[in-house]
Amino acid sequence: MGQPGRVSVAGFELALDRSYHPGTHTWVLAFGPGRVRVGMDPLGIETSGTLAQLSFVPVGTELTAGLPFGQLEAAKFVGPLVSPVPGPVLAVNEALGRDPGLAERDPYGAGWMIEAGAELPPGLLSGPAEISEWFAAEVADYRANGVIAE
Amino acid sequence: MAAEAGALRVMDFGPSSALRSQTLWHAVAYGVSAGAPATLSFTRPAAPYVCLGYHGALDEVDLDYCRVEGLPVLRRMVGGGTVYLDEDQLFFQISLPVQAVPAARWQALRNLLGPAVTAFRAVGVPAELDADLEICVGDRKVCGHGAGQIDNAVVVCGNLIERFDHERAARVLALAGPAHREQTLHLMRRFVAATPVDAARFQAALVHAYAEALGLRPVPGALSPDEARTVVELDARFTSEAWLAGPVRPQPAAGSERPPRRVKVRAGVWSVASEDEGAPNAAFTSAGPGGL
Repeated sequence: MGQPGRVSVAGFELALDRSYHPGTHTWVLAFGPGRVRVGMDPLGIETSGTLAQLSFVPVGTELTAGLPFGQLEAAKFVGPLVSPVPGPVLAVNEALGRDPGLAERDPYGAGWMIEAGAELPPGLLSGPAEISEWFAAEVADYRANGVIAE
Repeated sequence: MAAEAGALRVMDFGPSSALRSQTLWHAVAYGVSAGAPATLSFTRPAAPYVCLGYHGALDEVDLDYCRVEGLPVLRRMVGGGTVYLDEDQLFFQISLPVQAVPAARWQALRNLLGPAVTAFRAVGVPAELDADLEICVGDRKVCGHGAGQIDNAVVVCGNLIERFDHERAARVLALAGPAHREQTLHLMRRFVAATPVDAARFQAALVHAYAEALGLRPVPGALSPDEARTVVELDARFTSEAWLAGPVRPQPAAGSERPPRRVKVRAGVWSVASEDEGAPNAAFTSAGPGGL
């Protein structure tokens, strides 16, 4: 049985108290007035491999939606973490420096990545039906294309 | 710049300075990101130097030793550890538009290292890509690799190690003490091997293998004017203190215990300094490939 407020979709657990950005495979959670918290969704994590290193732009950096807020390294592959929101970086999760695996083990809690001064942007997916439908289709597409295992 | 359909641009930069042996292919990646054809490039450092992976910590390098020895220290934009490079290593880089590469990074890496394995085998080296995505002969790594996304291009780099200076590769690292250094050197000798084959044959085999795997036609190429300008820009960036210092990484909490210094020799093999560096036979732990 899954945790309250979560739903299992195609073998992945999704938290329903937040919104998802389909283009970047991140979640976005309103975290106070004009403040959001951002982390990776399970498909973003699954397709990265075991996280070895994470780095983020400095606090105060003005983010542009669609551009990197940091870099992720797994299996010697460095790739961008793409921001779903515009706005200044207000905080980064320092705990990930000690233990990048937190983002895999607890992606919705201790594995959050950054906080930004932003409102929830348009284009996010919210609510059980919308989230589940989108995520199931994504997983099916990834599996059909061999991006993730059956 | 319009991409030439079906072309695999092949560029051999030949012997290059330490700096240019990095900035040339990074500029190519930016070029591919901007629309240049997929490119296989080659370079050989004209002189030795040390190179950190994108996330590598500068304090992993014995900077005093490098200064005395005149070894430049650079940072690349792709992953992997701190490495020693010299004229006995031929480096190759395959750069592709990001949309031509699987979204799963491990799969992209496996797909793009496969042709390198094919090339090794074509020149008589019985290489295999193991479960850790290391190119190996038996349990010995024979090719150092790194990968990354640079703007909208994906680059995978590797090398042919004709001879490997294990002593110097260990010496450039900042280690916990003599025992840690000795163990690191021991593990490097045990798990990193050279494959002294004819470099020109290997290079030709790589061109063939990548062209075939990607379904592209190899075409000799050269830097575009934009790429040449990017080289100059990257020369400045890569020699700046800010770039060498590396990206901002989240820091461990104040007062938390610093983990022991450890060096990844190959996937699954680490030399690890103990708290009591001098303790005989107890200074290090290591594990074989596939384990920790």
